[in-house]
Amino acid sequence: MKTTGIAVIGAGPAGIAAALAASEAGAAVTLIDENSTVGGQLRWRIAALRGLGDGLDGLPACQAVERLEERLAAADVSVLTNAVAWGLFEDGSLAVATPGGGFLLQAEKIVVATGSVDLALPFPGWTLPGVLTARAAQILLHLHRVLPGRRVAVVGEGLDAAELVTDLETAGAEVVLRASDPAQVVVSGDGRVEWVTANGERREADAVVIALGRQPDPELALQAQVDLGYSARLGCHLPLRSALLETSRPGLYVAGEAAGAADLAESFAEGRLAGLAAAGASPERIAATQEALARARSPERSVEVDRLRLGTSDRAQVEADTSSPWRSWGRAATAEGRDNSLARVALCRCEQVTIGEVRQAIEEGALTINDIKRRTRAGMGLCQGIFCTGAMALLLHAERGIPLSEIVPMTERPPARPIPLVSLVEIEE
Amino acid sequence: MDQAHRNQAGDLRVLHHPVLGDLPESRPVQITVDGQPLLAREGEAIAAALLAHGILVCRTMPGGREPRGVFCALGRCADCLMTVDGEPNVRACLIPVREGQVVWTQAGLGRWEGRAG
Repeated sequence: MKTTGIAVIGAGPAGIAAALAASEAGAAVTLIDENSTVGGQLRWRIAALRGLGDGLDGLPACQAVERLEERLAAADVSVLTNAVAWGLFEDGSLAVATPGGGFLLQAEKIVVATGSVDLALPFPGWTLPGVLTARAAQILLHLHRVLPGRRVAVVGEGLDAAELVTDLETAGAEVVLRASDPAQVVVSGDGRVEWVTANGERREADAVVIALGRQPDPELALQAQVDLGYSARLGCHLPLRSALLETSRPGLYVAGEAAGAADLAESFAEGRLAGLAAAGASPERIAATQEALARARSPERSVEVDRLRLGTSDRAQVEADTSSPWRSWGRAATAEGRDNSLARVALCRCEQVTIGEVRQAIEEGALTINDIKRRTRAGMGLCQGIFCTGAMALLLHAERGIPLSEIVPMTERPPARPIPLVSLVEIEE
Repeated sequence: MDQAHRNQAGDLRVLHHPVLGDLPESRPVQITVDGQPLLAREGEAIAAALLAHGILVCRTMPGGREPRGVFCALGRCADCLMTVDGEPNVRACLIPVREGQVVWTQAGLGRWEGRAG
């Protein structure tokens, strides 16, 4: 078994900041990422950085990556790319798959900084080639320099949607339609996107981008069954953490968007704090970093973090301030009998389980996401539920009146990603 | 969108970008997609090379012929599975192009070709 002082999973803004901070504080650090290069979302975003400090502000995010890579090299952080951390076991060991084979890694402390994934809610035509997430569009535009389409429709109205519209237009695409409510969107075409209808308007288009926002993806922490609390802002559950970002499992920290951080500046500041705390840095340095983190957070997010940390929640508020696009989707999907226009739409893209089939399972007694999964196979496919469990929760809420705060994520088990069997057979123990 | 953004008919590459600058020169990499030759850029993902040439479909789903293409581009959704050099279920959004690579649109779960599975 390989060993390290601190294992950081995910080399995006939070993970890089955690690795650098832990290394500065004297720890031996291993930084693991499934991509071929470090940087995470910094690589595919071009908006100028703000509030990160460290000489990075003002740079387009993608140009900050090179500087951070230099610092990682100078700090003697062991960087493993093309490496998938797919399991976190009870004895604290991490299972890692690489193209050269698999191994177990025993770390004294673990920082999960695995970021977030786009939110997606089903609408007719959402599985057609040409429909893609906001991140997919940014990756194509900025990493690969390819337009997802020439005439593009954008679904969503928040900050991510605004950034994406700017990105598309800057690269030379035409945004032909914007729709705020995914339940009102219909996409059609023969084997690819050709037409988009929303708000009573019909437009010819060759791509549709879903930009509804993001959902945290702390899968390894969920495997470790850490305590969770509900975020009304995001409409999902988050790992509960101490003031030093440690979860209910001692030695396991979660930082950045995986724990609900709202932007790059907050992710970077959370990473620094988690790295210093895991490395056992001096109280003075930790206090200064906590102050910097408080400055990086919006007042709304600060209230949320405190509420989660202290375990207090206000049920009325929790239900009232759940973001509206989500709630209206659940109402629309359950508005009529199971013959409504959304009933035949795939809710689970991987296993091709329809919204109607999930509603039937709920009618027959399913009360949790795990129940729906067992009855229908929804959530059991290659994406491991990341693109469908949000919609399942909204259907449970709409059909049964179960508060969203009481609908917990499905049970996560290894492997967190599809891995070749050879990385199990040839595992180094 | 103006003509300057296109290399050739059907090419969706962003040649000039106000923030990122001009598309850097790169060594052309020849791959074969469903038996047809295709010129890609060194270092790019297979799916990006296909999209640049207007090819959206990576696979068809099991139990039907529903086509799928790039959805998340992060390696999470697995909609872009293709058969690459005889190996099925390769995520085309993550795996870079390589000279002489043979790529096929994958039908259903795919199957091993050309070497032992």
